Parts: sequence; structure tokens; C-alpha cells
Amino acid sequence: MVIRRLLNYLIPHKKALTWASFILILATFADVIGPVLVKVFLDQHLVPRSFDRGALIILASSYLGLNILSAILHYYQLVSFNEIALKIVRQLRIDVFSHVQNLEFKVFDNTPAGALISRITNDTEAIKELFVGVLAAFVQNMVFMLGVFVAMFYLDVRLACFCLILLPMIIILMISYRKVSTKVYRRLRQELSHLNAKLNESVQGMNIIQALRQEKRFRREFQTISNNYYREEMVNIRLEGLFVRPAVDLIYTLALVMVLNYFGFQSLTGPIEIGVLYAFINYLERFFEPVNMMMERLTQFQQSFVAAERVFELLDDRRIAPKGSSVDSPGISQGEIEFNDVSFSYDGDKGAKVLKSISFTAYPGQTVALVGHTGSGKSTVANLLMGFYPVTQGEIFIDGVSLSRHSHQELRSKVGLVAQDPFLFAGTISSNIALSRSEITEKEVQEAVSFVQAEDFIGRLPQGLQEPMGERGTTLSSGQRQLICFARTMAGNPKILVLDEATASVDTETEEAIQKALRKMRQGRTTIAIAHRLSTIQDADLILVLHHGKIVERGTHAELLAQEGLYYKMFMLQHGSKEKE
Amino acid sequence: MLLFKDLMWFFKQEKKGYILGIIVLVLVALLNLLPPYVVRVIVDEVSRGALRSESLLYWTLILAGIGLAVYALRFSWRLMIFGAASRLSRLLRKQLFDHFTLMSPQFYQKHRTGDLMAHATNDIQAVEMTAGMGVLTFVDSITTGGLVVLSMAVFISWKLTLIALLPMPLMAWSTSRYGTMLHNRFHHAQAAFSDLNNKVLENINGMRVVKAFGEEEAELEAFRGLSEDVAAKNLAVAKVDALFDPTIQLIIGLSFFLALIFGSIDVIHGKLTFGQLTQFTIYLGQFIWPMLAFGWLFNILERGRASYDRIEKLLKIKQTIKEKEEALSRFNNGDVIYKGASFTYPGGNTPILQTINVRVEQGQTLGIVGKTGSGKTTFLRLLPREFDLNQGDLQIGSTSIYDVTLESLRSKIGYVPQDSFLFSTTIAENIALGKPEASLEEIHQAAEIADIHADVLSFPEGYGTLVGDRGVTLSGGQKQRISIARALLLEPEILILDDSLSAVDAKTEKKILESLGKMRVQKTTFISSHRLSAVEEADLIIVLKDGQITEEGSHRELMALKGWYAATYRRQQLESLLAEGAEH
Ligand SMILES: Nc1ncnc2c1ncn2[C@@H]1O[C@H](COP(=O)(O)OP(=O)(O)OP(=O)(O)O)[C@@H](O)[C@H]1O
Ligand SMILES: Nc1ncnc2c1ncn2[C@@H]1O[C@H](COP(=O)(O)OP(=O)(O)OP(=O)(O)O)[C@@H](O)[C@H]1O
Ligand SMILES: [Mg+2]
Ligand SMILES: [Mg+2]
Repeated sequence: MVIRRLLNYLIPHKKALTWASFILILATFADVIGPVLVKVFLDQHLVPRSFDRGALIILASSYLGLNILSAILHYYQLVSFNEIALKIVRQLRIDVFSHVQNLEFKVFDNTPAGALISRITNDTEAIKELFVGVLAAFVQNMVFMLGVFVAMFYLDVRLACFCLILLPMIIILMISYRKVSTKVYRRLRQELSHLNAKLNESVQGMNIIQALRQEKRFRREFQTISNNYYREEMVNIRLEGLFVRPAVDLIYTLALVMVLNYFGFQSLTGPIEIGVLYAFINYLERFFEPVNMMMERLTQFQQSFVAAERVFELLDDRRIAPKGSSVDSPGISQGEIEFNDVSFSYDGDKGAKVLKSISFTAYPGQTVALVGHTGSGKSTVANLLMGFYPVTQGEIFIDGVSLSRHSHQELRSKVGLVAQDPFLFAGTISSNIALSRSEITEKEVQEAVSFVQAEDFIGRLPQGLQEPMGERGTTLSSGQRQLICFARTMAGNPKILVLDEATASVDTETEEAIQKALRKMRQGRTTIAIAHRLSTIQDADLILVLHHGKIVERGTHAELLAQEGLYYKMFMLQHGSKEKE
Repeated sequence: MLLFKDLMWFFKQEKKGYILGIIVLVLVALLNLLPPYVVRVIVDEVSRGALRSESLLYWTLILAGIGLAVYALRFSWRLMIFGAASRLSRLLRKQLFDHFTLMSPQFYQKHRTGDLMAHATNDIQAVEMTAGMGVLTFVDSITTGGLVVLSMAVFISWKLTLIALLPMPLMAWSTSRYGTMLHNRFHHAQAAFSDLNNKVLENINGMRVVKAFGEEEAELEAFRGLSEDVAAKNLAVAKVDALFDPTIQLIIGLSFFLALIFGSIDVIHGKLTFGQLTQFTIYLGQFIWPMLAFGWLFNILERGRASYDRIEKLLKIKQTIKEKEEALSRFNNGDVIYKGASFTYPGGNTPILQTINVRVEQGQTLGIVGKTGSGKTTFLRLLPREFDLNQGDLQIGSTSIYDVTLESLRSKIGYVPQDSFLFSTTIAENIALGKPEASLEEIHQAAEIADIHADVLSFPEGYGTLVGDRGVTLSGGQKQRISIARALLLEPEILILDDSLSAVDAKTEKKILESLGKMRVQKTTFISSHRLSAVEEADLIIVLKDGQITEEGSHRELMALKGWYAATYRRQQLESLLAEGAEH
């Protein structure tokens, strides 16, 4: 199955492959003809001592010419096979990467990033060998073997039958090696993926590890995984030693012993044809040549095979994020949001409900605020609205149309989220704001930057907007990073704006200025705002108080205060200090 | 061969395995000369009709014996040589990882994670190949090649052998030239692989942004470009790679040619029999494989060296945060003093902190406030020595923190960074990260103070809940509080909370601050925050602006000062007043 799928990747390269194989055959021919020319020289010229000048020159030049031709052909053959292999690996990589883009969030929640990387880059890399060497070697040697068999049948049926008996032995050897080594290789690749995961996590959390002085422990833990990897490698080396090359050679020697004994004992009773004995020994060796070559490649094959298995496993992961229909996507023009009795759990039906019967409507141009204790489900509401997780109970409508019927594209361009954890890509500040949206001009980037009050600090950077950012933008302060993420969302001028603690790490002054700017642009934009600092959401049209996933209070700021419920308590707490004054 | 020299330290370390392995390899090569001899003896006897059953048995037993012996020996050299190579890769992995644990944030700003991972997997693999396959090929090509040459010279004609070997320098020259080309190209190919790794990692880490902005296509496009680049760079490698075999074949062909011409002349002059010449060409045929192996060796070596260079380059990077040689491993706690502390990030040119002077008495709480980017985090990072000061000094008690060991310094400090980072294990293990031996009770206690205990208990799996990569399955506030609990568990002399309550609601914030106050008597606390309510109770508050302290004092004093603090405080209050006013 895995092999079939791998071979399918060859289909687009049929032509190149045929061409490369053709050149390979041609080159092999040239290789074969060389010795023939030598033989001609020895038999027809040297032995009879007939040194016809012209013939000799032709012979010599064709010998040299053949050599050069063979070298050139081999070069092209090698490069072509490599090129095909590299193209296939590239295609596999792109396929698996693009598949990963479509997976739903649950996959990323539960799979360590390092483990995914291991499959997308390391495992695909390991497949390369299959197409570079293994495939060509197998085909070539199978043909060789067939040739040897035909010759053997022609020469002596007994001999051929004898070798036919050897064949199952070798096949059994191969199969049993494959069986055992598949398991070992699986474990080996698995350990590699653990190594990657551990490395990734340790490197990214190194400042914590150091602050907590756990370097020794993490070294030890890494060492343990590294040891496991080493152990599997050793098992592999043993297996290879037991089953592969040395074993085939042993079989060869034993076969030789049998042949010698067979003929030897026959010769004790009567005369035998010495020529047949010669041929027997000769062909036995010939027969084992391709077998050896194939065995040699079997380990590479196994490695590629298991790696491919892992890549296909990821490719077959059906946990695809729903894409929404793109055909009759109605488009978002008003920006009305309605949650209708939405309940949600991250763990499917069995898990604890994070949201319980959430219903509310945000009318076009309104601001709806979500408040509540940490862990009450506010970000989850945003996650659902963004379509990160499919809604299983109840429904979300945008402009009266179910979320799942809106196209991905439309949602992405009309609904903008400023997430709780700011994330920056490696690149420049400008590229982080514009992303790949080509419709965003430099001027709009500039405007977004001044909208979030970031022009001040960006202006002070040596290269301004073009300042390069390292991994995750660690050379900026947390607040600065958050501002850039905010600017990124504003640059898209979304119809619906979802702010999840968008200014939590930003000082009050800046925050207020942003609030003011937001207020100015309120018309025509629906905003969902999540904030712990209640001051930032007081003028919302509707405030929803979430508690353990339920809406426990709703209304405007004034109404909620008048209710003297949870909101009132939260508010008093936050501003309780002033009573002391 | 340079790499063999570079790796000498390792070969020495694994002396026994390598020497034994090589001896066994040579032994195998020698033993392999025997079967053809045995076969010849038997066939000769058969053809002469002189074969006796004892001698047949005798010889075939020897043959079988040799077969078994070779089997065992082959098995054992694999174990020895490949095993040693495998140990080398384990050792390099360890060296790299150990090195990573010594590196400070400065290093991690420059080196991306995917790149570091590629070093520890892809590059080490290439080096392992050299230490195993490389050594094997080296020994094998020399012994078998040597044996062939020896047979040619001894049994046939040393003159003819010399002639046949004439083109060999050409081969040595071309393979070493190819080697150099290969080296550079392989270096680039490995670097391209690093880039690819970086991209994938970034994409997965930033999946939320990718999805939120519909960047999938663009990401795929970027990835396509990078894998295109990897393919192109590898093709460049393959193009050199493919030069080796044909060149060697060509040169051997030349050898053949020369041997035939000169051999024929010798035959004509009667110095050589026809049979000898035939045998000579057979030997030459046997010479092809060792020579191909020789080329292959150069190939592996150069790949290994390119990768080893990359690894070495990382390993050579010096630790920037170092202990002094006579660093104290013990010192007394006391006031924390910033003495004329100035700091510029490495490579930057704007000073982030300028002559900061602060004294925080033992047991006091210092509040740090200021605008975004004013230097609060930087101020705090200097204490556990994530970065070192350019000027001035930082003292605890009256000991400079640069005079003590990192271990002793950091053991006094519980640092909760602004961005909480959780490891993908259980909640309990995350809290106990700094003290793995902590009892469940202690963990619960710390969680209680950080006000996360009840939350955790509400999860179906409680403290055994797995939090996913970086803690993605938790809410922002939950993550922050687990980080706080992690620091509290250590009961540190000095606690640093860098805006660690930003994702926590007011009620929880108040609760945490209150329990902290109760629990941390006689212990120093640093709190930075944008919400002034978090620092109001602090003994001393500093306001940072562009790396300088502009205001300093208690809440009351600062309010009286009517500066930035008072204005911001009022602003945070005013809104609520206004709002309430609207209600009445
Ligand atoms: N990806 C996820 N998988 C599983 N559980 C999750 C996931 N994300 C959040 N949760 C859980 O869902 C609950 C609600 O989380 P959510 O992030 O919505 O809270 P929140 O109200 O935004 O809190 P905060 O104010 O701290 O940000 C939490 O108990 C959290 O542990
Ligand atoms: N690693 C770094 N390399 C270079 N410059 C940096 C680095 N980290 C921070 N900076 C710069 O130093 C300044 C101070 O950053 P710092 O993180 O100390 O600010 P902060 O006061 O903590 O801000 P916030 O309130 O946003 O957390 C900022 O202008 C920032 O861009
Ligand atoms: Mg949240
Ligand atoms: Mg900060």
C-alpha cells in the first residue's frame, strides 16, 4: 500500500523516468561492450599477432570513446535519477505541508510541534534515498537476476532448479528482515520525533529552564531520549548484521559447499563434466551478485518505507477543518453576529462543556463586550466565531447566514481577530503587519501603525518599519508585540473586529488612545471585545458576563451596575481602592 | 581526510572499538581470499580424478567454517564500527544540547529553533555516516585495493602495475577537487534544510495567526519556495556527486588501456605470457570497486565535514553569561541594589536603561510601572542574569551578583516572565518544574496561593491534565497563574512578577496579591504592571521612562508628586467614576 502510493509519485515523472532508465540501460551497454572490445583485441590481434594499424586505431579509439560515452551517460543517468527523487520529495513535502494547513486545531493542540516537523522535513528527507538509489538498484538487479536464470536454464536445468531452491530462502530472509526491522525502524523514527519535540520545547523554554536551574534535569531527559534512539540504532545494526549482507554471504558459501559436495561425491562414483562444475560455480557467483546488491539496499528501503508510512499517516489524518462552502457564499456586508444556543466542548461530546447555551446578538455597528473570570470561556467564544473549532451544538450566524455556509475566504477577510497571545513571524515589522495581503499598501500599514499608537517606538528603531524581527519578535517588548498584532488586524479593515485582551500588556495611555481611535471608526464595524480591565469596555452596547461558560448577566454598564450582581462585584473590586482614598 | 583529523578525539576515545573493528575488517578481507583457493583445489582434484572423500569433506568443512567465521566477523565489525559511529552521534547530540543549556537569550535571538533542531538531527546524521560508513569505506578500499595492487605487482609485473597506476594521481586530484565543490554545496544544502525547518516550525507555532488571516496559501507558497530551494541546492550537490563514479570509471578505463598497450608490448617481447596479461586485466577489473569506494569515501567525508563545520560553529559560540572563576557559591540575602546600572541590548545602539539607582530593602516590594517599551522587563531580566549590565553593578546583600555562581543567584530568585511558557506535560509537572521532588501537597499549596487550585480541580483529570504544546489548551489567565504557582513553589527569597497578572481578572488579582502579602514576610518582591492597582501596596514604586527613573516613592508620595503615576492612576480611576456617575 505504502509502496504503491510512493510509486504513484513517480507518475508525473514518467517521461523523465523512462528517459533516465533508457540512459541507464545505454550506459550499462557501453559498460558491457568495453570488455568485449578488449576480448576482440586479445583474441584477434594479440594472440595471432596481427597488428593491423588501422584496425588497432579504430579499436583503441572506440574503446576510449566508449569509455567517455559511458562516463557521460552515467553522469546524466545519476543526475536524472537524483532530480526525479528530489522533485518527488519536494512534492511530498508540499503535499504534507499543505495538508497540515488544513487540519483542525485539535491536532495542533495535541501534537507537539517538534513531532510534526519531524514528519514534514526529516521523514520526507529519508524517503529520498528510495528514489535515488533503491529503486534503480532493484530494477537493475531484478533484470540481472532474470538474465542469470535464463542463462542457467539454458545451461543446465539442475543448476537452475538448485538456484530456485535458494531463492525462497533468500526471500524468507528478506521478509523476516523486513518484518523485524519495520518495527525497529518505526521505533527509531518515533524516537527521532521525540528528540525533535524535546529539542523544540527545550530551546523555546530555555530561559525558564535556566531561571529554574533545571538545566541538568533537561540534559538528563534529553539524554534519555537520545539513548533510546541510540539503542534502537544498535538493534538495527545487529539486525542488519544478522539478516542482510553477512547472511547472504553465508548462504552463498553454504550453497557452494553443497555444490562442491554434490559434484565431488558424484565424481567418486563416476566421471563428471568438469565444464558443468565450472559453470555451476561461476553462475552461482553471478546469481548472488544481484542478490547482494538488493540486500545492500534493503536497509535503505526499510528506512524509506517506514518514513513514508509516517508521512502518509499524517497525510491521511482526516481531522480536516471545515472549509465552508465557497460556491454560494453570501458575503458579509452588515456584520451582524448571532450566537444561538451555542454549547461547546473542546473534547467532543464527552468532555466538560466550556460554553453552555450561549445566545446573544451583536447588531451591525455595535460593540459587545465579554467579561468574566479567567477560564470562563471568553476566548472560546472568539475561537468559535473565527471558526477555529466547529460548533457542534447550536449555531452561529453572521448576517443571518450560518457560519459554516460562509466561505473561508470571506470570513478571513471580514472578521479580524486580535488574539490573546501575540505572535510575530520572522521578517520585518512591515511584513508582519501586511502579511501576504497584497491589497494592503504601504500607506495603510503606516495608518495601522499610527492607529495603534506604535509609530513612536517604531520610529525609534534603526530601520523603522523595515526592522528585522527574529523568531517570535523577541527583540520587542511584550506590549510592542501586541501593538503590532493589533495593527496587523486593523490593516485589514475588518467588518467584524474581535479583540481578545488586545491591549492587556499595553499601558493605559496608549490603550486609551486606541480606544478613542476605535470609537471614531465605530460606524459600520461590529466589535466583540474581551477585557479584564473593565474600564476599557464600559461604553459597550451590550456587556455579557460569563461565568463557567454561561451568560449570567447581560446589559449595558449602567444596567449591570444597577443589578448589583457579579459585574457589580467585579467592578467594585477593580475600583475598590478609590473608596479608601 | 581533514574530517578524520577533526574527529581524532573521538576515534581516540573509541580506540578499542575502532582498532578491533578495523582488524576484523582486514581479517575478513584476508579470509575472503581463501574460498576461491579452496574451490580451485577441489576442482583441480576433481578434474584430475584424484578426489578422495576425506579430502572433499575436509575442504568443504573448511569452506563452511570460513563462511561461518566470516559471518560472525562481519557481524562483529558492524557492531564495533557502526556502533561507535552511533555513539558519536549520541555524543554530539549531547554536546549540542548541553551547549544549548548554557546559552543565554542573546544566542536564542540569533539562532532559530528549527535551525538548531536541524543541526541536532540532519547534520549529526551526516557526521555519523562519516564515522561509520566513512571509516568502513576507507579501510575497505585500502585493504582490498592494496591486496589487488599487491597481487598484480607480485604475481605479474610490478612495472606493468606502475604503469596501470599512472592515472591514479589524476583520480586523486579530481576526487579531491570534487570534494571541495561538494563541501560548499552540501553546506548550502544543509543550510537550506535549516530554513525549511524554521519555516515549518514557525508555521505550526503561528497556526492561529495563519488561520485567522487566511494565510494558508501564502504560507504554502513560502514553503513551496523553500522546498524548491532545498531541492535546487540538493540537485547542485547531486551534480557534483554524480561526477565521482563516472570520473573514476573513466580513469580506470584509462588504466586498462595503458595496461593493455604496455602489457601487449611485453607479451610481444615475450616478457609476459598471454595468460598473465589476462589475469592482469582481471585484477584491474577487481580494482574498480575499491576505487569507486575511494571516491565514495571522499564524498561521505566532505558531507560529514560540511555538517561537522556547522555543528562546530555552534559549539564554538562562547557563553556570554559566565561565572567568574572565584565565584561564590553561597551568599547572604539582603537588599537588592541597582547601582548606576546601564544597559544596551547586544548589537543595539540605544541604551535601554540609563544609570538606574534603586535600593530595595530585604522584605520590601518594589513596583515598576511605565509605558510600553520603557524598560520594565529589561530591568527585571538583569537580576537573574539573562543579560549582563554594561555599566554599574547589581547587588544582593552587599554582594555583586556577578561575583556569585549562577546557581546560587538563580536559586534565590523566582522569576515569572511576562510571557508564560508551559511545557507539554501535566499541570502538576509544570508547577513542579523548578522542584521536581515537590510533594503533591506543596504543589497544591502553591496553586492555592496562585488561585489556580480550584480551576485545576474542575478539570476532569485535575493535576494530571496535559496542557499541550506551550500550554495551548489552557486559557490565558490559567497559564499565567500556573507560571506564578511554579515560582511560588520555590519559596524564593526574591520573587519577580513581570506583568504576570495581565490576563487575570481583578478579583483574582486581588486575591493573589493578598495571599502573597501574607505569605511572603521578610521576602523581597518585584512587581511590574500596567494596572496600577497591582503595585499600589508596594513599599517603593519606580516609574520608568525611556530607561530612566522619572518618579520614585510610595503610592502616597507619587500621588502627591502629580506626575505620570498620579495622572495614570487618576485616569484608571476616572473612567470608573465617570461610568458610575452616569449611573447615578
Ligand atoms: N484548545 C483547548 N483545548 C481544550 N481545552 C481548552 C482549550 N482552550 C481552552 N480550553 C479550556 O476551556 C476553558 C475556557 O478557556 P478560555 O480560553 O475560553 O477562557 P477565557 O475566558 O478566555 O480565560 P482568560 O480570561 O484566562 O483568557 C478553560 O478551562 C480552558 O482550560
Ligand atoms: N532582546 C532585545 N533586543 C533589543 N532590544 C530589545 C530587546 N528586548 C527589548 N528591547 C527593546 O527594549 C525596550 C524596552 O523593552 P522592555 O521589554 O524592557 O519594555 P517593557 O517596559 O517591559 O514593555 P512592556 O510594557 O511592553 O512589557 C523596547 O524598546 C524594546 O524594543
Ligand atoms: Mg482568554
Ligand atoms: Mg515587559
